[in-house]
Amino acid sequence: MAVEATQTRPRPLLCGDAAERDAAGNVVLVGGRCADCGARAFPRSPVCTGCMSENIVAERLPRRGTLYAFSSVHIAPKKWKKPMRIGYVDLEGDVRVFTHLAGGEFSIGDEVEVDIGAVGEDEAGPIECFVFKRVPK
Amino acid sequence: MNGVSVVGVGMIPFGKYPEVNIVDLGWPAVKAALKDAGIDGKRIEAVYSGTSRGGAMTGQRIMGRLGLAGLPIVNVENACSSSSSAMAQAVLAVGSGAYDVVLVIGVEKLSKYGGGTLPMDEDDWEIGLGLTMPALYAMRASRYIHDYGLTLEQLAGVSVKNRKNGALNPDAQMKKPVTIEEVLASRMVSEPFTLLQCCPTGDGAAAIVLASDKVAKQIRQDAVRVRASHLTSGRFMTGFRDMTSPEITVRGAKETFEEAGLGPEDIDVAEVHDAFSIAELLYYEAFGFCPRGEAPHMLTSGATSLGGRIPVNPSGGLLAKGHPVGATGAAQIVEIVRQLRGEAGARQVEGARVGLTHATGGGISGFDHGACSIHIFQR
Repeated sequence: MAVEATQTRPRPLLCGDAAERDAAGNVVLVGGRCADCGARAFPRSPVCTGCMSENIVAERLPRRGTLYAFSSVHIAPKKWKKPMRIGYVDLEGDVRVFTHLAGGEFSIGDEVEVDIGAVGEDEAGPIECFVFKRVPK
Repeated sequence: MNGVSVVGVGMIPFGKYPEVNIVDLGWPAVKAALKDAGIDGKRIEAVYSGTSRGGAMTGQRIMGRLGLAGLPIVNVENACSSSSSAMAQAVLAVGSGAYDVVLVIGVEKLSKYGGGTLPMDEDDWEIGLGLTMPALYAMRASRYIHDYGLTLEQLAGVSVKNRKNGALNPDAQMKKPVTIEEVLASRMVSEPFTLLQCCPTGDGAAAIVLASDKVAKQIRQDAVRVRASHLTSGRFMTGFRDMTSPEITVRGAKETFEEAGLGPEDIDVAEVHDAFSIAELLYYEAFGFCPRGEAPHMLTSGATSLGGRIPVNPSGGLLAKGHPVGATGAAQIVEIVRQLRGEAGARQVEGARVGLTHATGGGISGFDHGACSIHIFQR
């Protein structure tokens, strides 16, 4: 019985609970904010790198950010979709996010927005994670 | 701190030795370093052995094979900085007066993984999401191209220079010179890097004998003095960082120069961590060999080639000599000691008196690098 229930449950996102949908159905990233010193982090950590407080609250991050750097990766472990486009996105509030990029061509400085997409596949099926897509200019 | 000098160096040629286990890679380098020092192995009082992927007790296994175990042996894991970190510990141990003669080992066998990128720990957030080492450096390159107008031909020029140097080094893994066209036409790994802009996978070992001032000159008249020995870790940052200026090396360089009482203008020859083509350019600037944004010009001017103002990676560097990660730092020191003694043959930097080594590494989330160890030597 329990096995059956496990099999029918959808596969969790690769990023776990670091991404979720808001009331409008839009994907948002969930980071951490230190309730004592205000330092932000993504992904959320149980302890603050600013003051070592464990008083960390979950906080939704801005959905849009700026592409800082990126690469199209041709050689990588088998499970990743290739070419695998990855980059760093800077969000308002001084949070940098490592991410897969989906759709279209990219340039540094592009405004990008978070979504969910397939980034690879293994024996358990497609691997889904948050991704960033270019916001049309 | 008491004075510390290098009195013996040895290494095996870097390359692929799939049939040889890590112990049998390691002991010939130790034996060569002892022979170079001209001392009996029984004079070694402690051993600092660096490997990243070699497994537990590598130092004991190597020293046991030579019948030299039964003394303090410390195994050091610090990714690509493993043996340079072991060196820093050894310098502290001799400098403190605890020992007069110690041995540093760097050893690694990467051929056991087959080809492809180096397997990384998927418990790390970014590695778990798909980051690879070439991709990390490729993003630095993409940003440098954006900020400073580096061309792909200039970037490929790093590989051309270092492969040319490697062709002059009997210990190098890649001994064939390449052209800019060949570099750019090789297989794409992680844009903008083609295969020939990525260090090869390989195996290797290197060893160093250190001695206190009390005994160094008795062992070798031409002992090479350690002017500075520095080790640090990266700062953890969750937000913005400038990927064209790795803070760990900028900070490490500044502190190392302060310790030595020297500046970048005093360095005659340097071995820096060119794991990928862009890295060497970033390090020209991080060490202050040239101002920010001028590394491509510095390269194309020939200033860092053999015969230039400050030859960088005369051994061929990681790109040509090879990068068996835990052995790299020790092998850089072997090269600089040979350069300062005038024993570097066809790749000799004429009149070199002061040399620098730099090994940094560890691709982990939130850090430019996990570890960085810099040394300055003087004859």
